[in-house]
Amino acid sequence: MDVFIAGFGVVGQGITEVIRDKQELFIKHFGEKVRIVGAFDTKSLALDPSGLDPDELLKRKDSLGKVGKDEVSDDIVKLLQDTEYDLLLEVTPTNIKDGGAGYMHIHTALSAGRHVATSNKGPLALKFRELTELAERNRVHLRYEASVGGAMPVINLSRELLMGEEIASMRGILNGTCNFILHRMKEERFSFQFALREAQELGYAETDPSYDIDGIDSACKLAILANAIFDRDVTYADVSRTGIRGISEEAVALAAEHKQVIRLIGEVSKEKLEVAPRLVPAGHPLSIGGTLNIAQLLTDLAGDVTVVGRGAGRMETASALLSDILAILKNGETRRDAKR
Amino acid sequence: MKVNVDLSLMDMPGQLIRALEPISANNGNVIGVIHDHEAIVGGRITVNVTFEVHSDLALENILATWKENDVIMIKMDAVFESYPLQYLLVGDISSKEIESLTHGMESMEGLASMDIRITGSLTSGSRAAMVTGRVTRHGSLETVEQFFRQHADNGGYMLIRGLE
Repeated sequence: MDVFIAGFGVVGQGITEVIRDKQELFIKHFGEKVRIVGAFDTKSLALDPSGLDPDELLKRKDSLGKVGKDEVSDDIVKLLQDTEYDLLLEVTPTNIKDGGAGYMHIHTALSAGRHVATSNKGPLALKFRELTELAERNRVHLRYEASVGGAMPVINLSRELLMGEEIASMRGILNGTCNFILHRMKEERFSFQFALREAQELGYAETDPSYDIDGIDSACKLAILANAIFDRDVTYADVSRTGIRGISEEAVALAAEHKQVIRLIGEVSKEKLEVAPRLVPAGHPLSIGGTLNIAQLLTDLAGDVTVVGRGAGRMETASALLSDILAILKNGETRRDAKR
Repeated sequence: MKVNVDLSLMDMPGQLIRALEPISANNGNVIGVIHDHEAIVGGRITVNVTFEVHSDLALENILATWKENDVIMIKMDAVFESYPLQYLLVGDISSKEIESLTHGMESMEGLASMDIRITGSLTSGSRAAMVTGRVTRHGSLETVEQFFRQHADNGGYMLIRGLE
């Protein structure tokens, strides 16, 4: 299978390493290699139909700050339409206003009959139905495990392993940064501002942390889960959203007196779609600390099914992308097979 | 309907089963049994049983069977199921607002109990109030939530709900 990588930041480099290191697995289970035939970042393009050397791409990015030797084409649409590949790995940064370049990349690849696996929340949180219907029409796969919860396999678990279950609701912690801040406020009695500053210093929060602490990131993930698991037709804007900015030390301490912790919880069912701080009993699975993500699914036969994992990071996101690559290899024909 | 009874049984093997059988025979559900072997009075022991029945007729049948079987009922209480509520209010919450919340809650139908605990400074504008309580009907939880949501929206403070 030939893959094209759109975006060569932290996640793009992570999945390149994984593809390099898992060749034996691909050959053992599917009898074929996975080759990288193209990759681009904001500055450059690398292209070779016979396969690029992953180490060379990583080395060039590390030393020169760009993935390819050539300048990236102005016409990315044409590039993604005309290049021969089976799967687009779309790992550019999220744009929540209009889906940005990620939307255009995914739309183009699907329209051209290519499978897509993505970690990009923006296009899915805004145009989920449009993109999934486009994939169906073109009989290709659109997979997005990496867009929610990093290494926490909630989407594939729900849609594949729990396929026979009626899932009534899902509650979970979908943003590690908020969880870290709330955890530190409780454990160290830090003020919100102090805990936020610590999160920024440790690299968990951006300089502008509003995307995390105002619940936007969680709302995007919840919208994707609502569409993917609960068959709803919603966008990120439909999510009722309250962030954690207003939470005071007094509130955290008062909750602790009542053996409760405050956590930013996303909740989705056929009726509900909300991200908000909630009181969670200490010791409850959703009271976990640190930067972990957790999702608790309420099912009709198996009862509560809980899945925990690292919500972000280079290898964690690459792990989710790998699961999608394997699923495409397992379930679908590659584009060239379909042509034969 | 949940029912809690104290039964006086002969302190002999098989008597507890004899007391519990009529409950299941009438489609009831035993929730709890407290059996005190230490307190034997006149050869009889007291057992506290909590069970659920679906109709008054089923309860009457159970009571009649106990009477026939020499199971003496010392005391019976109906136990009403209640549902917990928990809200944490955060922000600029005035004493007047707390008073308004208290009065509003007290006048609400189905409220079994309520407690409000407040911390923070009266002058800084940063306070937190934990409201805990119980309602006797599940449907009342939604009414209570709407009540708090409306107050929080109007008062401009944050409402954090319990994870029901």
